[in-house]
Amino acid sequence: MERGEKIALGAAVAGHVVLFGLLSVGFLATPNPEQLTAKPIEVSLAEDVALEQASPNPTAEAAPSVAPEQGAPEDAAAPEPAPPEPAPEPAPQPAPAPPQPRPEPAPRAARPAPAPVPAPKPKPQPRPTPAAEPKPAPTKPAPKAAPAKPAQTAPARPAATKGSGKSPTATASRPRGSRLGDDFLKGLSDRDTPSRTEAAPAAKMGAQAAADIGSAILRQVQPCANRQVTPGPGAERIRVAINLKLNRDGSLAARPRVVGHSGVDGDNERYVARVDDLAIATFVGCSPLRGLPEELYDVQNGWSSFTLRYKLPG
Amino acid sequence: MNPVFNMESATLSPVALFLQADWVVKLVMLGLVLASIWTWAIILSFSARVRRTRKEMAKFEREFWKTDDIDAFHRAKADSDLPSARVFAAGVQEWRRSTAGKSIDRDGTRERLATSMGAAVALEVETLSDRLNILATVGSVAPFVGLFGTVWGIMRSFTSIAQAQNSSLAVVAPGIAEALFATAIGLFAAIPAVIAYNRFSHGVNKVEAGLNRFADGFHTTLSRQLDDER
Repeated sequence: MERGEKIALGAAVAGHVVLFGLLSVGFLATPNPEQLTAKPIEVSLAEDVALEQASPNPTAEAAPSVAPEQGAPEDAAAPEPAPPEPAPEPAPQPAPAPPQPRPEPAPRAARPAPAPVPAPKPKPQPRPTPAAEPKPAPTKPAPKAAPAKPAQTAPARPAATKGSGKSPTATASRPRGSRLGDDFLKGLSDRDTPSRTEAAPAAKMGAQAAADIGSAILRQVQPCANRQVTPGPGAERIRVAINLKLNRDGSLAARPRVVGHSGVDGDNERYVARVDDLAIATFVGCSPLRGLPEELYDVQNGWSSFTLRYKLPG
Repeated sequence: MNPVFNMESATLSPVALFLQADWVVKLVMLGLVLASIWTWAIILSFSARVRRTRKEMAKFEREFWKTDDIDAFHRAKADSDLPSARVFAAGVQEWRRSTAGKSIDRDGTRERLATSMGAAVALEVETLSDRLNILATVGSVAPFVGLFGTVWGIMRSFTSIAQAQNSSLAVVAPGIAEALFATAIGLFAAIPAVIAYNRFSHGVNKVEAGLNRFADGFHTTLSRQLDDER
């Protein structure tokens, strides 16, 4: 090798060293692509959005059976003149019944004079003649026959007995100042009677509740999902429908089962089995699930067996 | 490792790519880099040599056609290693041998002069184009060698993908990049070699044509001299 060739060899070596050195320090390095500034938002579409039947609150207080009391007729004497007219004839007796509210039934007046009680009775039961009899009735009605007897009990418990509904006679008798008839809501009490029936279960878990539970579950398994490595390009497009059998405490009653896929195309179909495994591992790894609504556990479509869609992050 | 060569960064760092590669690919890369260095050494030395040779040959021929005394000119240029001077020396030598005897065979002398000077031209061209076959070899073979390294590296990275059970781009990309780097080096060595080979064979052809022209002219002169000799 002659001198010229040695020089040329040295120059070539030097040139290569310089070139590779420049490349090594990033002389022609491609700048990193700009990071996406906006993170993509995941949107999940709900198929059924209509609200379904949900049970009303079954423990709400029952409506009172009567209108508010307005007190006894103000003037016991006032009705008195009226009975004399009906007294002779039994027929018009129903007529006094409508005017019942008009005379203010003052209880104090009524009590000293239980006599008027039979008088406004709308029922034909009390004989018209006994009705006339009590008129002079500063005397006790006690000795009287059966028609008077309800009257006797009435003063004792003017208000309370009315709704008991045990005997038709009790309901029948007293003027109460209500615009409603005595047989209004027959068989019901005016007391607050909380229903003893259990809360009726909701007919069905609605779509809204299902979506909420699905979101809650996905939120809880997110740490496990983040640990999974996407097996290949396109695998994150696979959506796995996975069925969870849950216990009431949120733990898994059985191994999650994959019941379907969507988003599988030619690119990623070879990853389906792997994605299934990863999805199952995600739910197994982050169970038990917490904070799921107890009352929606074993209703129809409840979360005792819950199917949701899962896809790999990324 | 130097942080410049860290593997995570998507640089074109040849050293990082080399260090990551499989040993077969490393061997291929090393061979191709050496081939590239050798190619460039030949290119640099050859271009300088051809340029100098052609310049000196032109000068030599100018001086030759101006001179009157061929013997004196031969003595002056006796130790020159210029191709023209060697062809000239071969002609003069054959002339002296052929004209040394009592009787001169003119036709035989002309033939021997032409043969000896043609042989000298052929020898000079051969020595001149000695390195060109290396350029030709590198230019035609280096891409295939680089391709071999690439195929090997990609096979290897596929095997590692299969082992990792993971085909995300982060796993695939470095192996393929380092494999493709072998092809890149192969092309890096081959492209200058092919260009230089074509250019230098053209240059050698021109030198050869110039030598032949000079030999023919000298042969014509000697042949005319032969006619005047007796």
